[in-house]
Amino acid sequence: MGLIECKEITKTFGAKVALDHVSLDVPEGKIFGLLGPNGAGKTTTIRIINRITIPNSGTVLFQGRPITDDDVQKIGYMPEERGLYRKMQVGEQCMFLARLKGMSTNDARLALRDWFKRFGIESWWYKKVEELSKGMAQKVQFITTVVHRPRLMILDEPFSGFDPVNAELVRKEILRLKDEGATIILSTHNMESVEELCENIALIDKSRVVITGRTDEIRRKYGQNHLELVYTVHISGDAPDQVLSPVEGVFGIVSDTDNGGRHTAVLSVSKPKNEVLAAILSQGLDINSFRELMPRMNDIFIKLVTEGV
Amino acid sequence: MKLRNIEIIIGREYLTKVKKKSFLLVTFLVPVLFAALMVLPTLIMLGAKQKAQKVAVVDKSGIVMQRLKDDAQATYVDCSDMDPDSVKAKLGEMGLDILLSVSPLDTASRTLTAETFSAKPIGVEYRDALQDSLDAAVEDYRISMTGIDGLKDIISDMKSDVRLSTYTLDENGNAKISSSDVYMMLSLVLGVISYMFIAMFSGQVMSSVIEEKSSRVIEVLISSVKSTELMIGKIVGVALVALTQFVMWIVLTGFILGIVGGVVGFDKVKELTAQPEVSAAIQTGVPGVDAAGMTAADNASAAPGEMTAVVTTLASINWGEIILVFIVFFILGYLLYASMLAAIGSAVESADDSQQLSLSVTTPLLIGFFIAFYTFNAPDSGLSFWGSIIPFTSPIVMLARLPFGVPAWQILLSAVLLLLTFIVFAWLSAKIYKVGVLMFGKKSTYKDLWNWLRQK
Repeated sequence: MGLIECKEITKTFGAKVALDHVSLDVPEGKIFGLLGPNGAGKTTTIRIINRITIPNSGTVLFQGRPITDDDVQKIGYMPEERGLYRKMQVGEQCMFLARLKGMSTNDARLALRDWFKRFGIESWWYKKVEELSKGMAQKVQFITTVVHRPRLMILDEPFSGFDPVNAELVRKEILRLKDEGATIILSTHNMESVEELCENIALIDKSRVVITGRTDEIRRKYGQNHLELVYTVHISGDAPDQVLSPVEGVFGIVSDTDNGGRHTAVLSVSKPKNEVLAAILSQGLDINSFRELMPRMNDIFIKLVTEGV
Repeated sequence: MKLRNIEIIIGREYLTKVKKKSFLLVTFLVPVLFAALMVLPTLIMLGAKQKAQKVAVVDKSGIVMQRLKDDAQATYVDCSDMDPDSVKAKLGEMGLDILLSVSPLDTASRTLTAETFSAKPIGVEYRDALQDSLDAAVEDYRISMTGIDGLKDIISDMKSDVRLSTYTLDENGNAKISSSDVYMMLSLVLGVISYMFIAMFSGQVMSSVIEEKSSRVIEVLISSVKSTELMIGKIVGVALVALTQFVMWIVLTGFILGIVGGVVGFDKVKELTAQPEVSAAIQTGVPGVDAAGMTAADNASAAPGEMTAVVTTLASINWGEIILVFIVFFILGYLLYASMLAAIGSAVESADDSQQLSLSVTTPLLIGFFIAFYTFNAPDSGLSFWGSIIPFTSPIVMLARLPFGVPAWQILLSAVLLLLTFIVFAWLSAKIYKVGVLMFGKKSTYKDLWNWLRQK
């Protein structure tokens, strides 16, 4: 059972259908990637989970029962359109936002002091937000999202606008919070972060869920059973000097590029990996590496969005 | 709706606004200005006693010099046998301030011309006195030319001096002397203050909404609170700021006037207040004692009846009713305009974009303001009556009508209509606000607002 389950959610704005029977299952304690091109319906989905927008039909379940306004306090949301009150002091502002998430004044102060220490920004407490640089403000923004120890964090494009140092800081914090048991929904265009962080994904396109499931399974499914072998051919000496040759019924060679003696071969296989490897080993090559070729999320994304399923 | 959330929103709204430099400045400066306005004219009158001017008079007519008597304002030196130009050249040398050069009498038109020359401009008061002396000289000359004996006495005997006293009748038919001027002033002041307060503070609600949108903090907020909670919190927060400022103004003005009164000698004021004429002078805004004595004397001799009327009028006004009605209509009017402007604010991303949309909302307020200016002339005209009943103008026009007496049923009807209108418009505004705050990137139009209203 997922922490969040969306069941057959439909949302229309006037004549425009923003979400068309969208169903999602976000497993607890995992990082869930919500992918899709601009205007596909990601933000609407997130707003419905946050109860900012009410769907025309369908239900959202939180821990197995219909979500309520009280559950929203267990969510930390960092929207894509983010910002802080510019004229307010950092500490005062964080206190305000933390209390709105249901924390008592005391708890909020303690937790915030903790986070400020962790990020090394204790001296900013009495600064006004307008005195902060963009990167500094982003750290504050991240703290306001997580200070109330949410069970679920929804991060919409969390890395956009962050400089590499802060992006890395946020990435580490996301992983740390996950280890502490939080569930995270990551809505992003950044496919590298999806490959690295997300165990599960859903791809939304044109208001519908195009594909959803475990990331590795999806990648494997859209892979073409290719393997990559890197080996070295020595021109002189006693070492092996022959190139790889295909083995009928086990593997064929799609390509074999020679780069100054270092060969990279792409194999199309028709037997399990181990048998293929045994067949290669019997050819007595100087092998550098051998790996399964997975399609990049980026390619799957483009393929699904441009060609349809 | 969660009360706790609304409280937190109110708290933030109130504290950030009250801690602003501009708030503190306005709160402390306005009473100082207000007190200054009441005290300064007196102090200026006291301080403006100039030393006597030395005036050289070259009188070629022969009728002016004899009328000019030395007094506190000026002393005169007769230089009639000299040439005006030579006096003009040596004015400073001779230790004189002003040259008054009077032409010979023109016997045909039976008048004369006069000119003054001085290094510094002549004060208005002295110029008027001089003008009076010249006119009187020519008038006397003309009277004497008629050859009629005692004409001067006849003329002064004929000057009429009618005083119109205005009385108001109460329910029992008792007449009470009243001053229309007092009602007029009060009507104007109430109308203007109500307009200013509503425009200023409902405008603050709008800019606060716009601030949240333009800084993009809004989406974080409405993931924590309902948009309606946010809107209510804002409107109430700013209302508390308004009330704080209002109370501070009253307290501080009283405080400052108390201090000034203490310094100048408040006891004397009290003594003098025993006499109705004097107290009247004080009531018209002269708290300084010496000044009070002075103006009281002046006014008393000029128009004693009028002053009595001012006092009676001020005393007969039902201040409790006025303050109560003011607070009710200000609050209801503020709530109505604040909720409408909150909706407008939610539709735009910057203050610049808001002008076009907010104009349609603030126009009725402005119309109310203009009707209020007309109201003191005709408090019971059709325009004033309907202006004080129709909810969009009533918070201003009703207050402008109030000093002239408004039947209780009209006040009640107007207040109930205003309340109902507020409820309807707050509900509509909340719907627009809810959708509007999430709209980014595109300038909203009236059509958009209409569509948002119909969205489920």
